[in-house]
Amino acid sequence: MGFGYFITIGIIVGIYIILTLSLNIISGYAGQASLGHAAFFGIGAYASALLTLKLGLNFWVALPLAMLAAGIIGAGVGIISLRIKGDFLAVTTIGINFVIVSVFEYSDFFGGAYGISGIQYPELFGLKISKAYYLILVFVFVFLTALFCRLISKSWLGLALETIRENEDAAEASGINCKKFKILAFAIGCALAGLAGVLYAHFIRFITPIDFAFPISITIVSMMVVGGIGTIRGGILGALFMAALPEILRPLANYRLLFYGGLIVLIARFQPQGLFGENPFLFRKIFGRSLPITQGDKSGMPGGRK
Amino acid sequence: MSAILQTEKLSKFFGGLRALQNVDLEVRAHEILGLIGPNGAGKTTFFNAVCGVYTPDRGKVFLEGKEITGMPTHRIARMGIGRTFQIVKPFMNISVERNILAALGKDRMKGVSPALLGIGLEKSREEVRRLLRLVGIESSIAQPARTLTLGHQKRMEIARALALKPKLLMLDEPFAGLSQEEIRPLVQVIKSLKAEGITILLIEHNVPFVMEVCDRLVVLNFGEKLCEGPPQEVRNDRRVIEAYLGS
Amino acid sequence: MFQQLINGIITGSLYALIAVGLTMVYGILRILHIAHAAVYVSGAYLGYVAYTYTQSLILALVFGAAGCIVLGWTIQRFLYTPLLKEERIVPLIASVGLYIFFEDLFRLLGGPYIRVFTVKLWFDKITWGNTVITSHQALILIMTVICLVTIYLIITYTRLGLAWQATAQDMDTAKAMGVNIRQVVNLNFLIASAIAAVAGVLTAINYNSVLPTMGSVPAYKMFAIVVLGGMGSIPGTIAAGLIIGMAETIMSAYFGFIMPRDAIAFSAMILILIFRPEGLFARAR
Repeated sequence: MGFGYFITIGIIVGIYIILTLSLNIISGYAGQASLGHAAFFGIGAYASALLTLKLGLNFWVALPLAMLAAGIIGAGVGIISLRIKGDFLAVTTIGINFVIVSVFEYSDFFGGAYGISGIQYPELFGLKISKAYYLILVFVFVFLTALFCRLISKSWLGLALETIRENEDAAEASGINCKKFKILAFAIGCALAGLAGVLYAHFIRFITPIDFAFPISITIVSMMVVGGIGTIRGGILGALFMAALPEILRPLANYRLLFYGGLIVLIARFQPQGLFGENPFLFRKIFGRSLPITQGDKSGMPGGRK
Repeated sequence: MSAILQTEKLSKFFGGLRALQNVDLEVRAHEILGLIGPNGAGKTTFFNAVCGVYTPDRGKVFLEGKEITGMPTHRIARMGIGRTFQIVKPFMNISVERNILAALGKDRMKGVSPALLGIGLEKSREEVRRLLRLVGIESSIAQPARTLTLGHQKRMEIARALALKPKLLMLDEPFAGLSQEEIRPLVQVIKSLKAEGITILLIEHNVPFVMEVCDRLVVLNFGEKLCEGPPQEVRNDRRVIEAYLGS
Repeated sequence: MFQQLINGIITGSLYALIAVGLTMVYGILRILHIAHAAVYVSGAYLGYVAYTYTQSLILALVFGAAGCIVLGWTIQRFLYTPLLKEERIVPLIASVGLYIFFEDLFRLLGGPYIRVFTVKLWFDKITWGNTVITSHQALILIMTVICLVTIYLIITYTRLGLAWQATAQDMDTAKAMGVNIRQVVNLNFLIASAIAAVAGVLTAINYNSVLPTMGSVPAYKMFAIVVLGGMGSIPGTIAAGLIIGMAETIMSAYFGFIMPRDAIAFSAMILILIFRPEGLFARAR
């Protein structure tokens, strides 16, 4: 287990942190169901792969374009969310995940079931960014994403999203254009997922449709739930915990999934607010005190026990 | 005496049900107009049709002379109608301050980039305090809305509506669900709002209050306007008595 | 052509059986019970074990159903009911975690390979011109009708059924009117899990196999069906199951090149939801 191993883990964790934070904008702040987030992870990855390989574009040009692609399709889902709501929306997002992955899998344009290989590392001023440098690249983006999320939570946009989550009728009556902000939440969240996708594609350099299937969406959602829905630190720590878990469980080899599934059940059952959200049982036991309440407060999917 | 709100032949149907029929109504500046009538008369439907929650099937709505019929709710809110709900709708899990800020920031939330601006808490806090003071719950400013009593939540909702700097305040049954102790201070709040010159249209079943506070009354029954006038006149109107007795 | 129709109805019936349980759970608890697929697979395995020892199909079904009833009750009692007061996403994640757990458990206990599950019935097949209905298919049809009619009768004509309807509409009001919610929830899970077991055994028999991953596609596809039918509506779900079953069979038989089979269910669901956002048979709330 050399240095390279830890670099790989670090990069994957970083990518998942971005994914979790991006989902948090849609589901945590705006309270909209989104169980198919991995689809946009995939759109970003495939878009960047195709732009760099087929059109010969530079990584740094392909990156924003891929994010744009993911963001636009995300906005499309946002428009759908205006019509289909609540649990129906939840299942619809699952369906969108399946449909998009099917498109990747069954069309030759996207390489079919074999995916796309031969994706290149990015270059900056002639220097090929790989390994340790790539880790730095990823963490720069993680930092920027976290900063952006913080900016949103302290801004009027964040407040608007929160009001939509809490009570749409009251939000409209307070002058807030719910339609516009919902679409915006999806666009931003999905664009950031696309960012994660680009980082993934140019690191692994070989992507297949399965990498972006529904189980990945569930992984992202579990990270958000385990960490604590709605908070930035919850998103970061949840992703860290869950991404580190398969490695920690490695010695259990044959029983890994058993423990993984069981752990999710236990955490959901006994610490539903997340390990690092409000009132964290485990944290209190270890550190003897509660975590400070952040502005994001308690939040979650629509249709909560009201 | 200018009209703040005016409706012309406002009508709303739900399938075969005629919830509102040809309602002509006028709210004059600085008055408190009471909208009363038996249950199911269409009072809340009227509110919804005015505020854009329902699109009227027929008729028009004017705010200070400008037509607002069928506009989206958020636009009507920004143009100057603040309303509260029969079943109170606070933003439960955020603080009272942020509840008020949501409406206070109406100009900030118009475009995308202004919306990304940080909320200048120091600047807005004074205004939030002032509004909360008006309704008497300044001390709750930092609490999450869900920890407030129903009476306080209703007051918060009024403050939130006032944060829009509305030309018209529409209150839907402000006393519903409140105990006598909670009603008394709220009556004071509404009276003080009137003293500030705010134009109010309200729905209420509480007869003594309506008699005492309203300048004029409009009675609805089966979606139609039955009669209107000063409280004493309306109270003694034969048709009104029949409508209430019959319901 | 007629053959495809029959095949479609058979597939649709199996889908309907699985999806009905799901919609029943959603109707009462408002939870997306992904772990239902785990119950379905358990039924298949339990039935397989029972049949291996007793060579009796009836015992296989009974044993499977009994086991699943216990499993279902446990899940509801220890996982879902305590989580009812949390954010909606939490029981969903718990359910997914549970499914992951069980899928691996089946792999560990039963082996990662396909086990052959053959059941001989008293007749081989019915032939009608060009169309063939195998004995297994006929069994599926019969069992489906029995199960669905039973549910219909219980819900419509018994007192417990009335309590179910009330609870599905509004749990708090039903509680206030004296309905024994606990009983309704338990009964609900009982029926849903039992039917899942039956569906599991029937599917296993139809495809002559039991394997640990047989639940992974139904786990998610069933939700497309439940949503399409209008979540919580039993007749809607049955209709949606049949529609999707037939659509899949016919589309992959004649238009297989357009889209993969599994994407059909979700595509159909999304398209129809856009026009009817509350599903085909939206419940009047």
